[in-house]
This record gives sequence, C-alpha cells and structure tokens, in this order.
Amino acid sequence: MNARNRELLALIPATLLVTAGFAAVFIQRENLLNDLSLTYGAIFLALCVAAHLVLRMTLPDADPYLFPLVAVLACFGLVMLYRLDEELAREQAQWFVVGLIFFTGTIVALRRDHRVLERYRYVIALGGILLLLLPRLGNPVNGAYLSFELGPISFQPAELAKIAIVIFLASYLRDTRQVLVIGARRFAGITFPPLKHLGPLLAVWGTAMLLLFVIQDLGSSLMFFGGFLALVYVATNRISFVLIGLALFALGARVLYAIRPTIESRVDAWLHPFEPELYEREIGGSYQIAQSIFSQADGGFFGQGFGQAIIQLGDSAPILPAAHTDFIYAVITDELGLMGAVAVLLVYLLIIERGFKTAMLATDSFSKLLATGLTAVLALQVFVIVGGVTKLIPLTGVTLPFISYGGSSIVANFILLALLLLVSDRARREVAP
Amino acid sequence: MLEPVSVGLKFAFLAVLYLFLLWVSRSALKDLRRGAFGGARPPVAADATGMHPASSLNVLDGDGEVTPRLVVESVPGLSRGMAYDVGEGATLGRGDVEIQLEDPFASSRHAQLTRQGAILVIEDLGSTNGTYLNDELLRGPRPLHAGDRVRIGDSTFTYSD
Repeated sequence: MNARNRELLALIPATLLVTAGFAAVFIQRENLLNDLSLTYGAIFLALCVAAHLVLRMTLPDADPYLFPLVAVLACFGLVMLYRLDEELAREQAQWFVVGLIFFTGTIVALRRDHRVLERYRYVIALGGILLLLLPRLGNPVNGAYLSFELGPISFQPAELAKIAIVIFLASYLRDTRQVLVIGARRFAGITFPPLKHLGPLLAVWGTAMLLLFVIQDLGSSLMFFGGFLALVYVATNRISFVLIGLALFALGARVLYAIRPTIESRVDAWLHPFEPELYEREIGGSYQIAQSIFSQADGGFFGQGFGQAIIQLGDSAPILPAAHTDFIYAVITDELGLMGAVAVLLVYLLIIERGFKTAMLATDSFSKLLATGLTAVLALQVFVIVGGVTKLIPLTGVTLPFISYGGSSIVANFILLALLLLVSDRARREVAP
Repeated sequence: MLEPVSVGLKFAFLAVLYLFLLWVSRSALKDLRRGAFGGARPPVAADATGMHPASSLNVLDGDGEVTPRLVVESVPGLSRGMAYDVGEGATLGRGDVEIQLEDPFASSRHAQLTRQGAILVIEDLGSTNGTYLNDELLRGPRPLHAGDRVRIGDSTFTYSD
C-alpha cells in the first residue's frame, strides 16, 4: 500500500470519531439520536479528503500518518467545543477550513523546494520578532502580552512567530554549526563554544530574555528557547551548549520572577493551589488550577461521558474557566477519563515521533534542522500547556495545538504541519527504493 | 432512555481511537526496528582494516603518483586539497577511526573503504544519516571510480586514483 492510500484509510477512523463524538453530545443534550452527527462526520471527511487530494497531487511520498493524526486532534477539538458551546464550535469549524486553506496554500507554494525559505531568513526572523512585539500595543490579558486585537479577531502572534523563528534558526545554524563545534574548548569539564561564535548564541538568548520581559509569559518563552536549544543540540551534538543555555534561561526567569508580581503569583498558585487565601483571590489566584485538578480527578478511568462534565451551574460564572482554550485538556480528562487523556497524549507522541523521524530521513542539513525545530516547538507547546493544567509546572496560557479554540493557533499549526510534510516528501522520495 | 447508547458511544469512541493508535504505532515501531533507512543492514565488523595507525594526512602535490586518495573538497576543520591515502582501505566516522570527521551528522563508524583486488569499494556501516556517492544515497557496497564524490553529513571528498 503506498503512502497516500494509507493516509486515506487512516482518515476513516478520524471520521468515525467525529460521528461518534457528535452523536454522544446530541444524546446528552437533547436526549435523541440525531442523524445530524452523520452529516457532520461526512463534512469532516469531505474536508479531510479535499486536503488529502492536494497532498496526493503535490507530495506523493510524504509521511502518511501525520495528517490523519492531526485530523484526530482536530476532531477532539470540534467535539469538545461543540459540547461546550455550539457557537464556538461553528467558529472553530470555520477556522479549521481556513487552516486547511493555509495548509494547502503553503504546500502548493513551496512544493518545488521548501529550501527557498533559507533565502528569506532575515526577513522571516524580523517578521517573527515584530509579530511577537505586536501585542505590546494592546492591553495585557492575565498579565501576559500574548494576544492582539485586529478588529473583531483576537490574534495570538506567538503562534506564527514560533514557525518564523524555527525557520531562521534552522537556516542560521546550518551555516554556523561547524564553527560552533570546531573552535570549542573545554574548561572545568564543560565544553564552551568559541568566544567569537558565542556571540550569536548569546544574541538568541538575549532575544529570548527580551521576549520573556516583553510578553511576560514564561510558557511561550520556554517554548521558543527550548526549540532553540533542541536545534543547537542537534546541530552541534554538544550537550554542554544545552546546559549552558538552560542555566542562562533559569537565570533570566529568576530575575523576572523577582521583579514581576504576575509571575510570582502564578508560581504561588502552582505551589499551593488549595490555599484558601490564594484560591479566593480574584485576580491571579489559584481558582483555575484547583478546579482543573478537581475536574480531572472527576474523570476517573473511563470518564463521565460526553457532555457530562460539570463546567457551569445555571447562569453563574463558570466553574471551570477558559474551558475552551487553556483548560480543554481538563475537560477531555473529565469526560473521557484517563483513557481519553492518555490517548490524546499518545496522538501527540506519535506526531512527534513522525516529526523526528522525518528529520532523520532528511538529507540536507537545513531540512533536518527545520523538521527537528518544528517538532520540538510543537512538543514543548504540548508540554507547557498540559504540564500547566496538570500542575506539573506553573500554568501559562498557550494553546493545545489543533484542539484548543483559537484561529491563529489552528492556522499556524497547519502551516507547521505543511512544512513538516514538505520536508518529509523530499526525504522519503530520496530514500524510497 | 438513550443512556446506554451514550455510554456505548463513549466506549466505541475510545475503542476506535485506540485501534487507530495501535495501527499507527505498529508502523512506527516497524520503522524504528528497521533503522533510519528502509532495509539498512546491520553494521559490518571492520575486520579488513583493523586498527592500523591513522593514515598520513599529506598535501597533494600533483607528482602524478597513482595511489588511491580521498581528496578533501569541503570538510570542517580541514583545508581543501588535502588528501587521505586510502590504498589499504580506511574507515570514516566521528569516532576513533582512520579518517576522523568533525561532523555532528556523521556516525562514529560511518562508512568503510575496502580494497578488493584492484578496486576500492565503499560501503555504509549502517550510519544514521547515510553516505552519499555522487549525491545518491549509498545502498550496499559500491566500487569507487576516479572523480566520484563522497559525502557524509557536511563533509565532501573526491576520490582520485
């Protein structure tokens, strides 16, 4: 069976999931078995098949499982959002279509050779940084400068910026990785990069710190800087560079912690979510994180079932705030239990495995680094938000890729997927017997 | 009441999801077992070359000598035009081998040159990122001809005899 037929076959389970999920939500809501869920399943399948046909024509050898895995995540997102709020699900479905348009657009535009991106690396880097600075023009949301209002649309530039920065770093490190290794000297058992090439590394660290102070959000800074360190490690094979980077990042985070009360209150909420004083604090308290843990515990092993999680009682303020964005993972755990939550994480794990596999197969350094970087930022994003919701690390507001409500997140992650598939197609075509 | 249907749908949902994951991960596991490349062979023991001292690195002075050499085209840390004498065969890689490459994309024992009668044969030793002969991925042993380009990671050599 060739790659594209596998892909088509793998889209069928995703469609079944949409149909079953919607049917279950209908039953819960109106106590009737509605054939509308079949219609939704059919529309979902039609959209996925349309994107699949574009892949079939442009990237015949690309990884067959990446797109179906993403379709499964999108299905989770649509079903959960529909269960929370029909209006949100309708908007999300529109964004899903927009995302697919950008996905196919990226593929068609770069189908000949995605390495043309290298030529525009400084423009792309500048664009990425400007995007990150954009939210400073507006007002902070929950103490962080992450979103930007563009007319009626609230837009999270960090989502797009992560791709721009990975493209830049992949292209930059392709050129400089050799000099970083060759001039390195050992001091006190640690290998330091040569001084004159330490400059760029420090510049990236400085940019990450600047971003940390500008957007004032540890989670997205961790995502950017972690992606950078993953790239440096893959490009140079020197674990010491990663350790130096982590030490520098910890230093910067410590300084920010000392001077910004928002960060401090987040860390407090993370350490002591059930402390009454913190729990009842109006702004920056631990109410959200405590409720998130309660609802995950409520899920048990197999969950409460679709539509059964208690999100809101009557018309009062929601029990679980931001259930459609930051805490959608908690809702999934509540309704599908440990089994459902583990399945979601497994889907991400498999996407990441396919991504790194693509990087291993790629023949040129830029493609290798690009696939590694894109996969690493995606993995870190999942880690940051799931870690935050499960109280492993302090909570920060990044989206759960392909599941959370949010236009810019869906669009940006579809572009990321398109780039991975572009790398994958070239790599697998060269390797294929 | 449709309660049982609802519960049934939830379990059906989870079942489909896990069957799907099982299917995808089976192929992922197959990939991992096969190594980085489809049908890659297990590393070959380097009994032909053994551990003789590192080949002398000498500058090609164009004296018309006819010993097989790997001439540096672009190798990190080495200048262009330097050459390795590979008449008795050699191993290339990042580890403790005859031709050491300062290249993070090279495996520790990456590729091997062996003398077979009058010709020199190049073979990939199951490396992670592959060896390229004239920009084509090396699959199995191949004889070298004068002017062939050998690429490992970012290091490129030209073969001359």
